Amino acid sequence: MSCLKQSNLRGFACEQSCLTRSDGSATFNQGETTVLAAVYGPVEVKLSKEHVEKAAVDVIYKPKVGIPGCKEKATEQLIKSTCETVLLVALHPRTAVVIVLQEMQNTGSLLSCCINACCQALMDAGINMRCLVCAVTTTVDQEGHIILDPTSKQEEDGKAVLTFAFDSKTNGVIMTTTSGIYSSQEYQECLLSAQHASAKIFEFYRDSILKKLSRVS
Amino acid sequence: MLTSMLTSITIYLNAMPLDRMRIPGPEDSKPPFVYETPSGVDVSNLVKTNGCRKDGRKADHIRPMFIKCGIISQAQGSVYIEFNNTKVICGVYGPREFGKREDFSMNGRLTCDFKFATFSCKQRRQHQQDAEEKELSQLLLQSLSPAVCLHKFPKAQVDIYVIILENDGSALSAAVTCGSLALADAGIEMYDMVVACSARKYFNSILLDPTAAEEIVPMKTNESVDEGEMTVAYMPSLNQVSGLILKGEMHTQVCAQIMKSCLEGCNLIYPVLQQSLITSIRKSLSNVDLQGSKEL
Amino acid sequence: MADVFKKVEPAEYYRRHLTHDARPDGRQLLAFRDVVVSVGTIGTADGSALVRLGGGGTTVVCGVKAELASPRPDTPARGYVVPNVELPALCAATLRPGPPTALAQTLSQAMADLIENSGCVDAGALCVSPGRLVWALHVDAVCLAHNGNLADACAAAVVAALRDTTLPAITIDDETGRVRVDSGRERAPVAASAFPVAASFAKFDNDILFADPTAEEEALATATVTVATLEDGSLCLLHKAGGSAMTEKELQQCVDRAQVRGAELRHLVNKVAASKEC
Repeated sequence: MSCLKQSNLRGFACEQSCLTRSDGSATFNQGETTVLAAVYGPVEVKLSKEHVEKAAVDVIYKPKVGIPGCKEKATEQLIKSTCETVLLVALHPRTAVVIVLQEMQNTGSLLSCCINACCQALMDAGINMRCLVCAVTTTVDQEGHIILDPTSKQEEDGKAVLTFAFDSKTNGVIMTTTSGIYSSQEYQECLLSAQHASAKIFEFYRDSILKKLSRVS
Repeated sequence: MLTSMLTSITIYLNAMPLDRMRIPGPEDSKPPFVYETPSGVDVSNLVKTNGCRKDGRKADHIRPMFIKCGIISQAQGSVYIEFNNTKVICGVYGPREFGKREDFSMNGRLTCDFKFATFSCKQRRQHQQDAEEKELSQLLLQSLSPAVCLHKFPKAQVDIYVIILENDGSALSAAVTCGSLALADAGIEMYDMVVACSARKYFNSILLDPTAAEEIVPMKTNESVDEGEMTVAYMPSLNQVSGLILKGEMHTQVCAQIMKSCLEGCNLIYPVLQQSLITSIRKSLSNVDLQGSKEL
Repeated sequence: MADVFKKVEPAEYYRRHLTHDARPDGRQLLAFRDVVVSVGTIGTADGSALVRLGGGGTTVVCGVKAELASPRPDTPARGYVVPNVELPALCAATLRPGPPTALAQTLSQAMADLIENSGCVDAGALCVSPGRLVWALHVDAVCLAHNGNLADACAAAVVAALRDTTLPAITIDDETGRVRVDSGRERAPVAASAFPVAASFAKFDNDILFADPTAEEEALATATVTVATLEDGSLCLLHKAGGSAMTEKELQQCVDRAQVRGAELRHLVNKVAASKEC
């Protein structure tokens, strides 16, 4: 278990290989927000989802309460295509990589926590990746100030919530999704501060892997 | 213990047939017209004293038609038809491989899927196909399949999808007409086109091509009503009937009479279909010519 | 000859076009297809719109049905807006009849987000009697032909249909509590002033950016972005699900182009709505 304390981000924590039966797993904490991710793969694929030239990525998102509906499906699709981008899917044709995400606790910035947990679990599973991915949620409050990694209260009070996912190689935007109304200038500001914060998260990734490996050796 | 738990779960699931694949609305909502005070419109009086119907037609007149072929870019054949306010779109895909793994068959297969758009009727329709739509799909299939040369495409199937965008009466006959024209547009070999027309017996007159207001409303009385409605699917060149459905009860003589009116209606529609098909083929040929000259 | 090349090497076919700032259908990279909008086409709906991109390549018809329901206990003065996108087997060869595909579900959610974020429906107009009776707007968009960029077409159809939607006047008798619909009185519109317009872009080979992709282009694209703008230049939706990475400069380019596109489409829809009233 490794932790990250930053003034503008909440405390981050991550624990890999927390499940015994999956190929890779991780719990990721951003403050109180906790997501558990498990990765199975490459495994056999259903005929209807099979691709001849690449592995199919299948994301299953389980909310804390209730049966998943349209909203969860949209989240699944978002995480799916984000993971598809960073995974080297062409290496495992006619297979599937299944990612199961369980929301444990949500106190804000849930989507970014999901993606971060995914990346950690994929690393733990040792599936070949093009690069790493990390996500940052930002919110614009009523006065136009930007808050990184907001809590649920800050998300509700703010006028917009924006989530970004960056790759570790070029630091380009892989995924972005927003809710609420904001100006294009605010968008750019959020993007820049999120990009800045992503460097810290990648550093945290490295530290947590180092710690894990030092324990193994 | 376990069994009782399972049954309670099943009951719970049966009580809530919620569609998780769509955005959920309120559990129970009523259309506004149920709160309307009955207005002064007299439903019983469909024909005025001068012999004209509410939309100004005579009893044996069909509604004006608008037909456009090749409306869906991705489909092999597609047709959009308007009978005044009844609006139907049909797309034909195939011949393509069987949807499900099935036994080998020397004959091709035809499938029909009939759906009312949720906003097409006065009362909102559900997204999933209901019993009426399934029945109409079957009737559509039965009316169209006698006309198609199924032996020409063994091991393959042709899918006909019909959506009613607005229903102002005679939806089934519009769907049959639209479907057969779309099959022709797709270049599927047929013995003849199928044209369908409906008629309703209303007191002493026969109203051809009825609107939604003129369509028969099933009445729950034990008395015999001398009222009815008939839809006939007809292949004009072969002079054969491929489908016939009758609602209500009528004397046999009236039945023969109303059928004759339906066939007359079909004969009125047939040349219009032929004409629109010719127009569509002319257009596609001129496009080919243009492309050919471009490449030269 | 060109047809054979396109079939055998579709990616190379597009690459040759796109590197010369041209697309196979004759458009420039950042050009959108022509749009045809007609409103009030469905008589049985309380509001409706038909949107066609590129002469019928992509066609979406949206109808709004208003029904009366009791409100949620936690939001007694709010009505329901229930958008759903149908992708019937009719619209594309790849689809078969059955439950909604993942794409249809994602689009439905995107439409719900768009309506919620932009506030394009007047929440007050949907409340008849707080805590007792509110309107539920069933906004159903049916795709009739699918040739790419469904997001833009659906958004335009949904927003235009909502702007066309009117509700009958309702009176509630205070003593008996009986609800009566006044069909004689004038119908009230539900749309608020906010008018979101979505614009989609795609990236090819990780570096060429182009607007309004067709189905073929979508299949070859390495990433797609959808931006929804409002009249005052603010954004209410920016959606990029995975795909090749984009720089902030490229995103800004999309936003700027979307603003121009938004103004064009708003002008068009307003013109269509005005001509209908005349």
